[in-house]
Amino acid sequence: MQKGINRRDFLKWIGAGTAAASVPALGCATGGSTGLHRAAGREAGAHSTYFDGFGVDGGLIGKVIRKGLTRGGDFCDVFLQHKISHWVGMEDAAINRAYSNVDLGAGIRVLKGDATGFAYCEDLTEQAMLETAETAASVADAAAPGIRAAPLAARKIESRYTVELPWSEVGIDKKLPLIERANAKARGRDPRIIKVTIFLADQTSHILVANSEGLLVEDEQPMAVMYVTCVAAKDKQIETGYQSVSSRDGLRFFSPEVLDKLSNEAADYTTKLFDAVSAPVGELPVVLAPGVSGILLHEAMGHGMEADFNRKGVSIYADRIGKRVAPDEVTICDDGTCDRMRGSINIDDEGAPAQRTVLVEKGILRSYMHDRISAKHYSVASTGSGRRQSFRYPPVPRMRNTYMVSGPHDPAEIIASVDKGLYAEVFSNGQVHIGAGDFTFYLKHGRLIEKGKLTRVVKDANLIGSGPKVLEHVEMVGNDMLLFSGGGSCGKDGQRVPVGFGLPTVRVGAISIGGRAS
Amino acid sequence: MSDLLEMARKVAHKAKARGAQGVQASVYRSRDSELEWRDGKIDRLRESTRMGVGVTLYVDGRYSSNSTSDLRDSAIEHFLDDTVATTRVLAADPHRKLPDPARYASRFQGDLEVFDTASMSPSERRKLARSLEEAARANPDAGEIISVTSSCSNSTSESAMVCSNGMEGQRRRSTFALFAETSVKDEGDRKPEGWWYAVQRHKADLPPIATIGQEATRRALGMRGAKPEKSGQYACAIENAVAGRLLGDLIGPLHGQDIQQKRSFLADRLGQDIGSAALTIVDDPLLPRGLSSRTYDGEGMSTIKRPIFTRGKLETFFLDTYYASKLGKEPTTAGTSNLVFEAGERDLDGLLAAMGTGILITGFSGGNSNPATGDFSIGIRGYWIEKGRRARPLAEMNLAGNHLEFWKKLAEMGKDAYVYSSWRTPSMRFEPVQFSGT
Repeated sequence: MQKGINRRDFLKWIGAGTAAASVPALGCATGGSTGLHRAAGREAGAHSTYFDGFGVDGGLIGKVIRKGLTRGGDFCDVFLQHKISHWVGMEDAAINRAYSNVDLGAGIRVLKGDATGFAYCEDLTEQAMLETAETAASVADAAAPGIRAAPLAARKIESRYTVELPWSEVGIDKKLPLIERANAKARGRDPRIIKVTIFLADQTSHILVANSEGLLVEDEQPMAVMYVTCVAAKDKQIETGYQSVSSRDGLRFFSPEVLDKLSNEAADYTTKLFDAVSAPVGELPVVLAPGVSGILLHEAMGHGMEADFNRKGVSIYADRIGKRVAPDEVTICDDGTCDRMRGSINIDDEGAPAQRTVLVEKGILRSYMHDRISAKHYSVASTGSGRRQSFRYPPVPRMRNTYMVSGPHDPAEIIASVDKGLYAEVFSNGQVHIGAGDFTFYLKHGRLIEKGKLTRVVKDANLIGSGPKVLEHVEMVGNDMLLFSGGGSCGKDGQRVPVGFGLPTVRVGAISIGGRAS
Repeated sequence: MSDLLEMARKVAHKAKARGAQGVQASVYRSRDSELEWRDGKIDRLRESTRMGVGVTLYVDGRYSSNSTSDLRDSAIEHFLDDTVATTRVLAADPHRKLPDPARYASRFQGDLEVFDTASMSPSERRKLARSLEEAARANPDAGEIISVTSSCSNSTSESAMVCSNGMEGQRRRSTFALFAETSVKDEGDRKPEGWWYAVQRHKADLPPIATIGQEATRRALGMRGAKPEKSGQYACAIENAVAGRLLGDLIGPLHGQDIQQKRSFLADRLGQDIGSAALTIVDDPLLPRGLSSRTYDGEGMSTIKRPIFTRGKLETFFLDTYYASKLGKEPTTAGTSNLVFEAGERDLDGLLAAMGTGILITGFSGGNSNPATGDFSIGIRGYWIEKGRRARPLAEMNLAGNHLEFWKKLAEMGKDAYVYSSWRTPSMRFEPVQFSGT
């Protein structure tokens, strides 16, 4: 209740200690599915869709859209989704638990000006969908339709994440050996590892977007993620750590190389903590290691550049387009087109094609991330950033994969430039206050920098600073940009969506470090 | 509601017919309505009806848990075929079983008063949301306001549960909620926000609209010019509405999985003093009108009141049937319901007066806690307090510590239990703890 109604943004990995409850919700894993889950006659004709198998054809969708416009709405769209999720887990060396979930429903949205009427149903019968459209229509209050819906025309898209076999049809027997291998590797890595828990979760989401402008487009979105969590004991000291990998890919993604790297990192991240001391207290220069520290971009400026906050005038970046927000070395993109990354999409959840959006170019703020409503407000094209957790939510502007482009510096040169500071390596979660601009991100572990050299391991500290100030004080950008391939999710407006991020080695000015050692 | 129970029975029966020796089936249905209002007009209307089925299967000593919102007859048949077949492929686990039927007995028979028949029409939601904005703007500094968002929502939910070894239950709940958020101008590009809300099971228990709108604006205006203080050890007080965030990191490692998987710093500390004598917390699932009140838990076990901490001493773990069996202990219940605190004698102003100089925390940001060690570090905002009064606003600071030391510094609890959360935290006052700032 507390969190549901609180609209603060936060970013948290499942498995990061506190979120065990969200794991089964991700879930899902039934074995080989049947004809039920298959598209019926997909290639047969212009209006033949995956959802024909559920009794929803182009004719019915058109009728629902027209119903949505009967009260004078300017625009109506229908979002159909069938999502099959599986989760299978190992604990104490036995793969002895599985969760699965099937989600089926329709979200119907009507826009009047920039006001939204939204309703959904979990029953795809004609009666249920028409009633739902009528509810959404009530955001407008005229007695008659204002506009006529255009006839639907199916648009084909090239998928950037086709799979040989959808996860919905991969039997659980194919998944068990992957988990066994990851477990053996993690346990074999270090004798101090005493517990290993692993889960493999997959999803197959079929979506269809149709709207009153005549768009009809479909996508099949695969997702795979594996988490390895370790507990290690040394004398009386206990430490825990984890690592994850994720991709919009099928079974082939979990190659021996991927699994071994995952398990080794999970084990190393745990045993490394035996040598760690508490992080320092107060402001120090910070060098961000490449990869997962891209969470800095996500929190420090990403959310502030989502156009809904700017349209409402409440973001710290409102009215900053065309202005300098960072030094020349800084170019930042939000990109839905990265190869099989977790935040990649073919189309957004309003049917707009994904793109690579340059947010900051050589230090100048160039673009926000737009959905349909904000694009109309700013008289620009949508950037393909309208995303939603599921058919149960209306779309809002969201990040996809957010990264900083490589700069000129050698990473070693960047570390050597710091006399006393923190080298921040692995992060677990973060949060931002959109208006005030202060952001946090939580360091699982890193190293101290003393006289230009990496020294002791430090752990468990929250880092806090002003997003715009940190961006203004990016001092050096490395030439080693790395995309983080783990399982990141972002929460906003009560909705979670998968995201990716990346960063080269970056030196920023002083950030306040919430450690305990003085 | 009886149709849900009938459906749960049917699903359990179908699962058994496919070879599951034990089944827990649950069916839910909910209706939610929300109106969001922004700067003088409707921003979003949201309406939904949900219905779904969950089924937990025990097949030849193997276990899975599954849910679906595709309730077509043929889809349910396939769903059960698939899930029962999948379960058979897993490793057997002797600890997986339905609860001992003795735990279904002695269920509380009274009325928890968690369902209100009062309704709320679309026009009433609109009127309330508009009033929230008007209240938020009724401030002498209204000229500083950039935007006000408010919302009014209500929902009803019903569910039924059947366990194949002799448990049946049904319940329904209602929720009414009001929310307001104000965004104001500040130095440079800063635009601090403040928000406030109320949520109740009964419509008549909602507070006057004006208090919510006004509080949102007061909180936003209060954060203008917020800056970090120097790093140091300072006394602190935590406002009731936000104290649950920190407490969550103490309660989390009391759960069975963390203990059995040896990643809990509290695993060996049952019966020990974890906090000061001011720390007394009871889990009370039978609290009338409570936001998490329930007569049976997620496994169907009848609920009882249970002390968690008594004068600082740890009294119990949260153990479901599975992890209790793995640990060789008796199950308690899987998690918290309503947490009720032994009240102190003073309100927040009284705590601040007693503190004199230090930091009042009115919001947390990000942060995390290591469940294996109890080390935590978390962003805070609030006020620097001098002579018991708010001297200036603070932001961009962290609070860090270890839970085994931190709760021993709890000097006193307030008497101001926060009622808009199932964890009814009062404000709390602590002896000096580590803050990082500049």
